[in-house]
Amino acid sequence: MSQLHGITHDLFAELRPESTPAHEPPPLHAPVPVPEPALAREPVPAQGSAPVQAFVPRRAPAVLRGRRPAPHPQPRELWVGACLHDLPLEALGLGRSPRPVAVVELRDRVQCVVAADEHARRHGVRPGMGLAAAMALVPVLETRPRDIRRERRLLERLAHCALGFTPRVSFVPEDGLLLEVKGSLHLFGGAEGLCRAFADACAGAGARPCLALAPTPLAALTAARAGCPLVVTDPAQLVGRLAPLPLSALRWPEDVLERLSRMGVRTIGQALRLPREGFARRFGTAQLDALDRLTGRRPDPRADFRPRERFHARREPAYELEHHDAILETLAPLLRDLERFLQARQCGITQLECLLHHRHAPATRCVLACAAPTASAQRIEALLEERLARLTLPEPVRVCELRSGPLVPLALSSDSLWQSGEHGGGANGESPAFIERLRARLGDEAVYGLRLFGAHRPEMAWRSVAPDEAGVRGADAQRPPWPAFRRPLWLLPVPQRLTEREGRPHHHGPLRLVGGPERIETGWWDGGEVTRDYYVAVDVRGVRLWIFRERSPPHAWFLHGVFG
Amino acid sequence: MSVEVPLARLLEHPAIWRGRSAARIATVSTGFPALDERLPGHGWPRAGLVEILIARFGIGELRLLMPALTTLTGRTAARWCAWIAPPLEPFAPALAAHGLALERVLVVRTDTPLWAFEQALGSGACDAALAWARRAHLRDIRRLQLATERGRTLGILFRALRAARDSSCAALRLALEPAPHGVRVTLLKSRGGLRGSVELSWPPAVAARGS
Repeated sequence: MSQLHGITHDLFAELRPESTPAHEPPPLHAPVPVPEPALAREPVPAQGSAPVQAFVPRRAPAVLRGRRPAPHPQPRELWVGACLHDLPLEALGLGRSPRPVAVVELRDRVQCVVAADEHARRHGVRPGMGLAAAMALVPVLETRPRDIRRERRLLERLAHCALGFTPRVSFVPEDGLLLEVKGSLHLFGGAEGLCRAFADACAGAGARPCLALAPTPLAALTAARAGCPLVVTDPAQLVGRLAPLPLSALRWPEDVLERLSRMGVRTIGQALRLPREGFARRFGTAQLDALDRLTGRRPDPRADFRPRERFHARREPAYELEHHDAILETLAPLLRDLERFLQARQCGITQLECLLHHRHAPATRCVLACAAPTASAQRIEALLEERLARLTLPEPVRVCELRSGPLVPLALSSDSLWQSGEHGGGANGESPAFIERLRARLGDEAVYGLRLFGAHRPEMAWRSVAPDEAGVRGADAQRPPWPAFRRPLWLLPVPQRLTEREGRPHHHGPLRLVGGPERIETGWWDGGEVTRDYYVAVDVRGVRLWIFRERSPPHAWFLHGVFG
Repeated sequence: MSVEVPLARLLEHPAIWRGRSAARIATVSTGFPALDERLPGHGWPRAGLVEILIARFGIGELRLLMPALTTLTGRTAARWCAWIAPPLEPFAPALAAHGLALERVLVVRTDTPLWAFEQALGSGACDAALAWARRAHLRDIRRLQLATERGRTLGILFRALRAARDSSCAALRLALEPAPHGVRVTLLKSRGGLRGSVELSWPPAVAARGS
């Protein structure tokens, strides 16, 4: 009975979120008085609870500290959230176009507007609108396809800018960045100064993000996404300041927002006033968890952005280089630098680009690709030597340049006690270097492994694959079902037509059939139809051959394999 | 019978050097007892160059090697088995049917087989390397033999029978000729092994189809 009573109470509460009757489960957060917004954003220290006063330098005179009336609790972290509402436009460099322009994307086979510039927005074009509707509103609308990769690159550039303000920057997928700035606020003259400096740096990179500052990362991000340049440094004020923001800024699933709005819950404040248990049951614990992280009730750890590092170095010798030995000598110190660079980071590279610049001719490119990540200058030098020896230079070389590919974490292994091949010692260390050396000299296709494929046609029963993925491991059977002597060890790439005399096949003399026939008739479904009768034949010199006769009219004989 | 055992023990004395037992080398069995008996160390050397001279391509030279290659690639810490410049495509299903571990097989296509062969032998990344070379000089053979010792690799070089006239510093030289039920192996050179020829016949299943 009491349970039933509880349910009705909850239902009642959610239907009328504004009311908080007595005897209810406790609300999410005690109602917090909303202070005047202007006060918190005031950069000038005011009497009372001025947030900026919290950021006096540590070595401030004791008198000042003593004078401060009851400081509010210091936030442990302060986050700047940045949201790029116009990222699709800015990534394409369309920030300031003279004509109305929109970026479109194919969604469910319909071209939709992803972002529209100010001109277009003034005429009523909104993101999410169909392209046809947008064209009806603005017939001269210029459209560009969305480029996710350029968006990602712009965001990465901004993250690099942000690293100039704080070491703790994290990426929020799609269009956001978070910066933990508590430690660096005093360097930029407080919250306002820092936000202004960061906005300037972003503008230099071609983006105009909306910035907000709050003690929790999600709050800062939500305010930025709502387009509200909130600056809150006092945790006590956070809930009150977040309350008027629309719920849609939290980017919850559409159906959750829809149900909440039907109940009349449209702002974050209204959602916070709902009872916890009922909220979790109706809208999922993920949403309750988001609210807790928003208000700082639960920790919200964020993964730090690590800049993608590359090695890049160039060297200009005093004289022009003509011979590849001299080039290699010039590159040697760069390679040693590269080795130190990689060792310090415990990383290896799988790709290295060597650029040789000439006086007039375009630079000669030489790209090395390694089978396994390496950090050894010696190994790279050996590979480079092979490649340079094959290179023909149009002109003497003036500048040598090295550019690495992305760094790959290197799993270090200890050397074997035994020499390779001795007492069953493996060859893990030498193996990639050996294959790389062959590939560097002969080309990637020249070195391959074999893999079985379950097919009856002999030419389809195997494929050549890269050495590291060779073998029969996988879905295919370990061993073919027939005994070893049924198939030849050698296969001709293309069956060779045999001459025929008195109805008998000839290959350097008449062939004697000693086995067969074995009929292979398959492949009618993919155009590679074969209808063949295979025989084992012995030629005059005792070589065992695998030959077949076509079953279709000319009934020609072909040589397909040698038993070897 | 009772005399033989102490004699064998006596002959193992380190001060006694005999022609055959001097070659106390690591080997891998050929899979043919008749051939094993005649080879130094009773098998193919684990590190050394073997020249196989064939009258014609396809008379059974690969069949002869299959048991040894199966043993080598089937070990737990097996290294590569490299095929340098094979004249035709090695047919993977047949190799697998013979028991070869395909994930250890590496095929190299090249116009400079001797260079690739030397790399394979000397790198220490291969357990065995097979090469088909049109011509090889004595100097090349010497380099290859040294490379096998450096990389502890079994190197097998297939050459035409007419090369039997040239001298060579390979550890082992065999000539192969077709025989009715298998192949006739003539030992041209073996360090500390027996000379002469031996006729090998393939397992009955093969022979039955062959006759």
